[in-house]
Amino acid sequence: MKDLKHLIYFENLLESANNELVQQAQAEGGICLGYTCYHVPEVLLNIGDCFSVRLRAPNTGSLDIATYYMSNYTCEYARALVERGIEGGYRFLDALIGVDACSMMNRTMEHLELLNINDKEKFFVTHMDIPFKVVDYTINAYVTQMQIHVLDNLREKFGVDVSDKAIRAAVKEHNEVCKIISEIGEMRKADIPVVTGYEFHLLNLVSFCCPKKLILPYLKETLKEIKARKPDPKPWFRARVAMVGSEIDDPSLTKLFEDCGAFICSDRYCFGSTPGREVIELNDEEDALIQICRHVMNHSECARYIADEKVLQRRETADRLAKEYKAEGIIYEQMKYCDYWGFERALVSHVMSEEYGWPVLSIDRLYNNGTSGQLRTRCQAFVESLEIKRIHKEEGIK
Amino acid sequence: MAKKPVFPNPEFWKAKDNIDWKKQGENLKVCLGIFAEMFKETDWEKFAEVQKSNAVAFVDRIKDEYSAFMALDAAGKKDIIVNGEKHLGRLYRKGAMATVRREWRGVKDTAYDFYEWARMWGMLLMTFSKDLIPAMNSALHYRWMISYFCCHGFMDKNLMGQRGRALRMSHILIYDVFRYVAENLVFLSKADRKNGNSIELNKKMVTFDEMTMGQIMAGFPDLLGIPYQLLPVFLVSEIDQLVCVPYIDAVESFGLPADCCPVPSSECGSLVLDAEPDMGSCFLSSSMPCDGSTMASSYFSRRFPNTPVFHLCFPVRYEDESVLQSAADEIKACIKFIEDQTGAKWNWDAYFATMKRFNTETAYELQKWEINKTAYPQLIGPAYELFRKWNYEMDGGVDPRVIPTCEKINKILLEAYENKDEAWPGKMKYRAIVWSCPAHYYANFSNWAANCWGINVLVEMESLNFTKPLETEDKEEALRDLARLYERMVMRRHTNGGYHNVVTELWRQCEAWNTKLIIMYQNVACKNMATVQGLLDEQGRERGYDLIWIEHDLMDPRTVSRRTMRDKVNEYMRTVMNAEPCDPSLVEFEDEVCM
Repeated sequence: MKDLKHLIYFENLLESANNELVQQAQAEGGICLGYTCYHVPEVLLNIGDCFSVRLRAPNTGSLDIATYYMSNYTCEYARALVERGIEGGYRFLDALIGVDACSMMNRTMEHLELLNINDKEKFFVTHMDIPFKVVDYTINAYVTQMQIHVLDNLREKFGVDVSDKAIRAAVKEHNEVCKIISEIGEMRKADIPVVTGYEFHLLNLVSFCCPKKLILPYLKETLKEIKARKPDPKPWFRARVAMVGSEIDDPSLTKLFEDCGAFICSDRYCFGSTPGREVIELNDEEDALIQICRHVMNHSECARYIADEKVLQRRETADRLAKEYKAEGIIYEQMKYCDYWGFERALVSHVMSEEYGWPVLSIDRLYNNGTSGQLRTRCQAFVESLEIKRIHKEEGIK
Repeated sequence: MAKKPVFPNPEFWKAKDNIDWKKQGENLKVCLGIFAEMFKETDWEKFAEVQKSNAVAFVDRIKDEYSAFMALDAAGKKDIIVNGEKHLGRLYRKGAMATVRREWRGVKDTAYDFYEWARMWGMLLMTFSKDLIPAMNSALHYRWMISYFCCHGFMDKNLMGQRGRALRMSHILIYDVFRYVAENLVFLSKADRKNGNSIELNKKMVTFDEMTMGQIMAGFPDLLGIPYQLLPVFLVSEIDQLVCVPYIDAVESFGLPADCCPVPSSECGSLVLDAEPDMGSCFLSSSMPCDGSTMASSYFSRRFPNTPVFHLCFPVRYEDESVLQSAADEIKACIKFIEDQTGAKWNWDAYFATMKRFNTETAYELQKWEINKTAYPQLIGPAYELFRKWNYEMDGGVDPRVIPTCEKINKILLEAYENKDEAWPGKMKYRAIVWSCPAHYYANFSNWAANCWGINVLVEMESLNFTKPLETEDKEEALRDLARLYERMVMRRHTNGGYHNVVTELWRQCEAWNTKLIIMYQNVACKNMATVQGLLDEQGRERGYDLIWIEHDLMDPRTVSRRTMRDKVNEYMRTVMNAEPCDPSLVEFEDEVCM
């Protein structure tokens, strides 16, 4: 297939958190709000003149200083953000919206606050409590947290209009992005898809890391281009796999897998499109804020939810996506030192194999893996095993 | 005269067992097969050699001790006879699983020590005899049960070097903990569907995650609450340093990363190895105190799919009062769950009565702190540390027999303070505070630090929890208070809710307790603490505190051994503090396999 017109542009946008479009938006008076977790409703950070940037630390090298503060046994994503913050990489932010959803990310936010990584006068860091289960009273608590920590802060510090009307306008723009990404994502279901997992990962990431208003034209154009794209006569991959697990903001990981012949046909991980790019349907009767909060909690697939229904939801979602996107196997991945996904991955990789019948590759990985020979070998072996299974199936061998 | 409260509920003892003798016979056959295999595989020549060398070592030790004693002058001899021995390193021998003998504490204290030893045996025998067959049969089902046979050794280790009133207080406190353990071991054996299989008791039993506090059971006086991993994993790992090793290996083979905290890892591993009893009508899991512990409950559900589970989850940012109501609602939902599963009804009178007791116990605890903050600290050491955690977390005022214990302790404490006693006579040199979680496999570390270097741990982080008196009249406020208490459970109080609860709080406590030396434990797998290590180090140095960083792996002594932990202190004391040990025999000794 021919390369996408804006592919290199998108890759360049992902080279820095403070990318060209972020700078442009700030120059036009935009208020840049950094966040890391799906539990911060992205749409609330895009009301009025605000725009959200989901934080990454591209091209992370040494983590020495962050390791001094946070030890070497902790999540590399969390440490990479601290390191980048100390280096001055987040001075462009106007505020940092943190959640206490996992302990290491919470500590990252605290370090970014304590170590004075940003000297803007109105800069603030806020920490929100995120419930562990989804019931009426926890949703109420969650709504209150969003009201106090996000909306009230934005109104008081930056004079942002946080009315229901303003929230609904942000949802409209958010949904526009979601529809485009979802439409492109759906194309991965084709037997010979016109978009690769890597390309989709890039498009999805830029939609998280760039101001919506400015990235929308590029996304629209790319959708049009992909629709008109001619698929290759034969599949360019050897096996289709669904990726499930913790945070992946590094598209080179997807590239690594695809270079081994594994088409990442579905992306159920933090920074992926499930959850994150579902359209938010609002009714007119209830406050938009409540509906958004409920949407986020219901769609969250984070391993921290331990209630039985959520545990089941995670397994069913992985199974559903793998089936819908015609995957032949599932890769369960986990950022090394992530406790939530460490426990989840160990157990679910058995459950999905024994109860759901999926071939599963279970891996833990570092923050930057684009060149990991070990992962490449494991992925190649998995692809080969899936090919053998396919051949056996075709030949009727059990 | 007020009626003496009967505890535990006699109905629990009376519950009829339904032992499946055929299955027990099959299990016995399996065990005998294992014993036969072990017998066959034993290298008897080597065994004889070891026994011979043990006998030689025994004779040599007697000769050494005799020579050392005889080499003393008359005053020295008298001192040993009256005040006890001074070189406790002698009690350890390389390759031995226990100390070579009990400590000589001087005539009076040794007599008292033996009295308590006998009293403990009496209590254990009486308790186990209440339903002996399932209790003893547990030893054929679970290897961890064997480790409990060494509980007297554990008691001795915690009390080393203590004399007089300090010894008495430690004995009294540890007795209550052991009584709780013994009673619950019997209940656990009776209820276990593999063993006693008491249908009657199981209907009344609510099991909960060992990190979940027991106070919620105060409103259900007719039910029995048991923290189900406490006995097979948590507590036994303090008695036997090697008991969790098979659990950790099993769960890591299953696929769990080795960097996870050994507490939830061991708990999950015990499920993988089927080392947990199958019991109770329902289970309360919890989101406490950290990410790893939160996740362990899914392993329980997988192992026991027929046991209904309630996930008791509390806000992490517990100081934010805007989230408090959701925590109180969670308590309400949990009460309803227990009612639905057991048919029991929440009893406010029973709850308030228990919380009044708990408030009294908290008041006594604060009294202990006040005395320990003075220049003459009295109640210190591992027995007290263990009691405090058990009383706050597991008992929570439920057992009325704890109040007389508190009264007795308070009386002795005040006497000791008035007499300006020393908890470790002649070894009170440095006032210290312990921060972060201690290693389970070295529960008596503070005892060693006191005996070897004169480092007196006045208080541990895990003891400094919620001390606000709980509401005992207004029902809604009582639920909110209970939520506040649960949010501030052991560890969670400090490691959740923001760095200030663990970093800033340390400096505040150092001032309050007038300590300059900080034993800074570093559980290598505790992410909540690891992520503030730089802040602690940086701010500690700025404030001029002496921080001794001691790595450990909580329940896995293979990663960091006890000896390595001691070496950290030895090195710091020699090189930074230029100190001389109080007992040089404790600087270097072997206890790699010692329980």
